[in-house]
Amino acid sequence: MTVTEAPRDVQDAAAVDIEPASPTGLAALVGSGDPRAIGNLFVGTSLLFLLVTAVTGLLVGFEQVDVEKADNILSSDTLSQVVTLHSISGLFLVVLPLLLGIATAVVPLQIGASTVAFPRASAAGYWSFLVGGGLLLASYALNGGPFGGDADGVALFIVAFVLVLVALCVATVSVVTTVVALRAPGMTLRRTPLFSWSMLVAGSIWLLTLPVLAGILVLSYVDLTWGTGFMGGANGLYSRIMWVFWQPTLYAFAIPALGIIADIVPVFAQRRHQRHAVAMFAIGLFGALSFGAWANVAVTGLFDEIDPQPTPWLYKGPWVAVSFIIVVPLLALLGLWALTLTTGKVRLGSPLLFALVAGTLLLVGVAGGVGTAIDQLDVDGTTWMTAQSYAVLLAALTAGFGALAYWGPKLYGRTLSEASTRLTATLLLAGTVVLVVPYAIAGLLDQPRLLDFNLDAIDGDVSTIETLNTVSAIGGVIVVLGLLLGILGVVGALIGRKGTSPGDDPWAGHTLEWATSSPPPVGNFASLPEITSEAPLYDARHAALRTTTEASA
Amino acid sequence: MADTPAVATASTAPGPGLEIFSEAPAPEPRRPRVLLVGTAMAAGAAATGVLAMVALYVQLRDETIGSGRTWLPEDANVELTPGNMGLVSLVMSMVTVAWAVYALRNNDRVHAGLAILVSMTFGAAFITDTWYFWTQAGLVVGRDPQAVLIYAITGASVAMVAAGMIFLLVMAFRALGGQLTGRASEGVEAAALFWYVTIAVCAVVWYAIYVTK
Repeated sequence: MTVTEAPRDVQDAAAVDIEPASPTGLAALVGSGDPRAIGNLFVGTSLLFLLVTAVTGLLVGFEQVDVEKADNILSSDTLSQVVTLHSISGLFLVVLPLLLGIATAVVPLQIGASTVAFPRASAAGYWSFLVGGGLLLASYALNGGPFGGDADGVALFIVAFVLVLVALCVATVSVVTTVVALRAPGMTLRRTPLFSWSMLVAGSIWLLTLPVLAGILVLSYVDLTWGTGFMGGANGLYSRIMWVFWQPTLYAFAIPALGIIADIVPVFAQRRHQRHAVAMFAIGLFGALSFGAWANVAVTGLFDEIDPQPTPWLYKGPWVAVSFIIVVPLLALLGLWALTLTTGKVRLGSPLLFALVAGTLLLVGVAGGVGTAIDQLDVDGTTWMTAQSYAVLLAALTAGFGALAYWGPKLYGRTLSEASTRLTATLLLAGTVVLVVPYAIAGLLDQPRLLDFNLDAIDGDVSTIETLNTVSAIGGVIVVLGLLLGILGVVGALIGRKGTSPGDDPWAGHTLEWATSSPPPVGNFASLPEITSEAPLYDARHAALRTTTEASA
Repeated sequence: MADTPAVATASTAPGPGLEIFSEAPAPEPRRPRVLLVGTAMAAGAAATGVLAMVALYVQLRDETIGSGRTWLPEDANVELTPGNMGLVSLVMSMVTVAWAVYALRNNDRVHAGLAILVSMTFGAAFITDTWYFWTQAGLVVGRDPQAVLIYAITGASVAMVAAGMIFLLVMAFRALGGQLTGRASEGVEAAALFWYVTIAVCAVVWYAIYVTK
């Protein structure tokens, strides 16, 4: 395979003299090791998979409008498969690759590197992800996946899922190594931009979480194919996976959202991020607390006659504590962002709007987690937890769209249409609130999650539950409209037909990515400014301003 | 992998005939090395995957014994000897891998290649020991649920050892081909790091599977 990539080191003379034939078209795309190209491929593919997640989400939402009537839209068997496809595609084919794609393109720019640490590994990660994601969807088409009726389809699902996890891990290793090992001279870890820092934290946690899931899937595959079925077979498969959608693991996938918000807020406040070191610590603490593989409930009981053990107190105590403590770093960050905004001169741009929406949704999700941990509320296993998962993952997705709007000039050389992106952010906020709040209330009324649905468990009036579910379904429609609008804006910019051509630094940014052209050249930087703080461009701009003021005085 | 330009390296270690480089720019600040950091991340992730399976094994074994049953079937034959032999082989390879790194740092490529070859032989011995264990264990995958766990976990440890051997082999070729030198020995150091992590994982597997049974 021909690989074109930016040189990381000074090449030897012989290599410089030889001008390799540049591949064009598909060959250039397939062989590209350019982090911007790989990042855009990740982003574009995740947005494509988002359509699958959106359609399945709508089906699931409208299925619950009439809880007394079974098989509204889908048969009960198909419904279970659609629910798992919705959640698994939403997290592993959309949110994670979207954030990783943005990081692959942006992190080298932020830290002053010419490329990512392992460009070929990143490219291999992307293509493996594409193949794995395609096979995962194909496995559902073959009546596979969790609750699938075809054993080969279920086995294909597991293999495809493991491939997706390995691909995401490979891309993560590349991003994390870039932050650790390729920072420009002068950029200490303390001066690392907050998005890059958040990717270092998130990547470290992902590398300790995704392999656990992969290990469980490998055991499930061996058992399904050759074993006795003690892992539960196709019907038990999802119960081995679903811990990643629960707190605290769920929060690990929203860590980059904190970094995105933290980079956008000071730029649009036109002020340095307040207490940068405290923000770094808060993101690190949020990440550390979100490591939740220890609390997973992968399997209980090897033999049928052994009753599944209740959650041991050893796990339950720390789990409750983490659910409460993790609010502290988030509140600290929200406070710092409020301080930065109130002490600065705020320009309201669409990236800031996305950041504010994402921060609000994340707070709602984490607060929902506190509710889950309070035994007296008795919401464990209800749609309260569904609402919490939606809030957190949509916060991450909203932050991702904010990042696409903010770093659009660097990713595809265009800024997105301001009116369209503002409408997207508004729809996402409104839609998520309308989607999440009724689900949470229905959870308080003991509506079980869809996969555990049991009409007798509902404590309140069934018609009230149905009304709440209808409102939630409408919220889902609003969210999907917002996402479609966002996708159209990004796709339009990617193919160069929408948005406007910006200057190199349209937002008056603070960090290094704004010191190069939009889009950046191969190698990213011709020369780097002096780095003496976490906001080198902000420093340079204010130093120039001071000099001008002194000269005129 | 040579991350630092040769000119800059030469200017930091002046010697006979290197005066022409006296005007070379100062070297960049020393950073953790790319391949070493990446390998640490990848090795950590791989170890986490295997250890997750071991954790599941320990949990299920604990629950089964707690319910008054025996863990292994009566006709199972999980002997300590193959496990001991395999682990001892790997522990000995720790010395030979360190020898490979030491030799390469001293520009002794022949000894580096020889040390890697011996290390790979120890790795092959581990795989052979595990294979022997599989043939003697008396566990039937379709009958004994424990068999799935034991074969999958020991199989995963073999996969890690095999990956480590491939990594070492590639680095041996690069060293013998002149791409790795005393000043740029990061590749072999990274392979050694992966090898050490693999041995640590195998030690945990040895204790969980062969010792506690």
